[in-house]
Amino acid sequence: MFDEKGEKYLDCINNVAHVGHSHPYVIKAATKQMELLNTNSRFLHDNLVQYAQRLTATLPEKLSVCYFVNSGSEANDLALRLARQYHGHQDVITLENAYHGHVTSLIDISPYKFNQLGKDSKKEFVHVAPSPDIYRGKYREDHPDPASAYAEEVKKIIEETQKNGRKIAAFIAESMQSCGGQVIPPVGYFQKVAEYVRAAGGVFIADEVQVGFGRVGKHFWAFQLQGEDFVPDIVTMGKPIGNGHPMSCVVTTREIAESFGASGLEYFNTFGGNPVSCAIGLAVLEVIEKEDLQGNATRVGNYLLELLAEQKEKHPLVGDIRGVGLFVGVDLVKDQQKRTPATAEALHLIYKLKEHQILLSADGPHRNILKFKPPMCFTMEDAKHVVETIDALLTEMEEATGMKTENNASTNAQCKRKVGFEFFFLNSYSDRCLAKQVYITLVEHTFIFGW
Amino acid sequence: KLLCECPPRGIREELSNHSPRSLAVGHCHPDIVKAAHEQNQLLNTNSRYLHDNLVDYAERLSKTLPEKLCIFYFLNSGSEANDLALRLARQYTKHEDVIVLDHAYHGHLTSLIDISPYKFRNLEGQKEWVHVAPVPDTYRGLYREDHEDSVTAYANEVKNIIEQAHKRGRKIAAFFAESLPSVGGQIIPPAGYFQKVAEHVHKAGGVFIADEIQVGFGRVGKHFWAFQLQGEDFVPDIVTMGKPIGNGHPLACVATTKEIAEAFAATGVEYFNTFGGNPVSCAIGLAVLDVIEKEHLQAHATEVGNFLMKLLKEQKIKHPIIGDVRGSGLFIGVDLIKDQAERTPATAEAEHLITRLKEEYILLSTDGPGRNVLKFKPPMCFNKEDAKFVVDTIDKLLTDIEKECLSQEKTSTCST
Repeated sequence: MFDEKGEKYLDCINNVAHVGHSHPYVIKAATKQMELLNTNSRFLHDNLVQYAQRLTATLPEKLSVCYFVNSGSEANDLALRLARQYHGHQDVITLENAYHGHVTSLIDISPYKFNQLGKDSKKEFVHVAPSPDIYRGKYREDHPDPASAYAEEVKKIIEETQKNGRKIAAFIAESMQSCGGQVIPPVGYFQKVAEYVRAAGGVFIADEVQVGFGRVGKHFWAFQLQGEDFVPDIVTMGKPIGNGHPMSCVVTTREIAESFGASGLEYFNTFGGNPVSCAIGLAVLEVIEKEDLQGNATRVGNYLLELLAEQKEKHPLVGDIRGVGLFVGVDLVKDQQKRTPATAEALHLIYKLKEHQILLSADGPHRNILKFKPPMCFTMEDAKHVVETIDALLTEMEEATGMKTENNASTNAQCKRKVGFEFFFLNSYSDRCLAKQVYITLVEHTFIFGW
Repeated sequence: KLLCECPPRGIREELSNHSPRSLAVGHCHPDIVKAAHEQNQLLNTNSRYLHDNLVDYAERLSKTLPEKLCIFYFLNSGSEANDLALRLARQYTKHEDVIVLDHAYHGHLTSLIDISPYKFRNLEGQKEWVHVAPVPDTYRGLYREDHEDSVTAYANEVKNIIEQAHKRGRKIAAFFAESLPSVGGQIIPPAGYFQKVAEHVHKAGGVFIADEIQVGFGRVGKHFWAFQLQGEDFVPDIVTMGKPIGNGHPLACVATTKEIAEAFAATGVEYFNTFGGNPVSCAIGLAVLDVIEKEHLQAHATEVGNFLMKLLKEQKIKHPIIGDVRGSGLFIGVDLIKDQAERTPATAEAEHLITRLKEEYILLSTDGPGRNVLKFKPPMCFNKEDAKFVVDTIDKLLTDIEKECLSQEKTSTCST
């Protein structure tokens, strides 16, 4: 990306520009269709059918009905409506730190958002299951079977809600939690959860809004990492689908779609499925195929993970490296044993990276996880360049704080001060912004890190 | 199937005869396609990356609105906009309840089905925090054109609703209405209604949300926004816009006051919309505003709209099936009835008419609870020849329908 001065930045986070910023093939398809016709889906148009056909060809056979909408939020809202209409149940199980969208119904099922509104903001029809995070969660990599353990948590929730006379409409989860901290669920987790949820009359909604379209390399869809035998009931897609064009999609089974249609309520979306959006969607699929972006994601992703793994050996600040394809997370910690999130350090690092013309971001509930989800044309050279820069910056940071010393006392003292800082950070969003500014100023002018 | 049956060449000829590209903001307007294409080639990313287009567009939009509506949220659809409007209202007032008009339609999201009688009447029914007021329809509604003060009468209905809600310990967050109910049947609320309603709602601690998704951007001719038809002294607290804003591109917007925006921001929960306000959408929005201005589409809407109304009123005199002709600018409704006294909706006739119109290569639709109101809301480049052509065809078809009815009456009662 280039700023207003023409300075070049390496983009490691814009997964929305999936096939690359301003890809000429996609732009051409858009313009061509815009010159011909752009109208609503009451006017039958081949693009709609062709696109639905191409899209469903990437999915397991039973996912065969597409609803076209304009944003991930619209898609997830529709997914909820479909789930609820199916058996008339209301309740939804969601994961800790999940984020599914900004519309009212989705804030309700996004702990990442509603937790900020206060401790009583969880609605009674919403149930929060522990995030299947084997690095930082309840059951970790040393547990004999974290997939089953985490799935048991969902089973317990279902039993509890049924005791209270409530009924589960759906379990919804991002196939890999992004805002939650680049979490890769252990294989087998989704299958077990689906078993429990379906037994309770609910459906499994896989939110692929952040991670679909070949990003994980091995497969087209992230839920496929769970295994060939796993098929969700509803899949939502968004963000990368149109390389930045506002469009989105929900795909589901014939049964669920028929049940929804049977309500007598016509689903109509003014902009959804218009010929331009469909032309763009088709062009994106074509580019993914023609340029073997899935293969690239595997190759470059593996290389990136390799390089980062080396950094983990070298730098005590790096607690965990996880990822698949071009979806990678680097969990920064202050202390390898306790895995205390290194929030301020992560923030500092990404600001320094920006000064080095590299765009990266931090997320997770403690904002300490470096998120890699670059456009799919990211290259080996790009990976090398980023990691080399991170290496240099981490070394600088560790030297400044004396983190490499074995002296526990000094580390503890620094931790205390850092805890003080973090408390300041956790106030309201506007306070956080102010704090960020103050912090950056201090760091820039005094070069004292973490005081 | 239908698209294949119609000879493509025929349709193209029709479109080119009746939507001349030289007169814009019509289908595929070249200025807009160009603006989109140029920005697409430069950059299309999210609003975390500050971009001039966003500021420029917000500024241009703000110039069309009363001064106190000065904060803009950009989104991708009318539904997203209305959902955000609800969130803003609730956060600001700390109340929950919403008053809507009967037959209203505000969008397809869960939260909006709940406030759209047009939809929820067929589903789970009305939620306890939703209150439905009678549509201020002076042709078919509770208080008609012969009532001495329908404005106060309709506004009092809202007042009563507020009082009833208060008795049950409930509090009003908002009164939410399309500035000109479209799905409800091309209704033009009598001037002064919004002001009185706003008075009652503000007193109860609520806000007034004007849904301009269907009717904004100069369509009514006299003004840029349909709520302005109510009078200079009326300013809503929140305005939502969509549909025409990007000439078909998925774009929408919510405009509100500084106070309401600050209350929303004060929750500490950041509002972020991935696609909303991206540079391409903003470039498109700006291009649409440019075209509306350059091609004087607002004045054009007044001129052609008035002409169309005149022609339709002539038809009203000629054909008893036409009960009412109402509208402003290029937003017009023709209410078809089976009898003048009862004003019974002529649903089947309306359906038949639009099917026949399509055979004559004219696209028109019907709406209203009786599906009997012909809805005119063409692209703003619609011209007088188009108007004449449509009305001439409607005239001919209505004459045919009446002849058929008469000949059937000779044998049996005309049941259509």
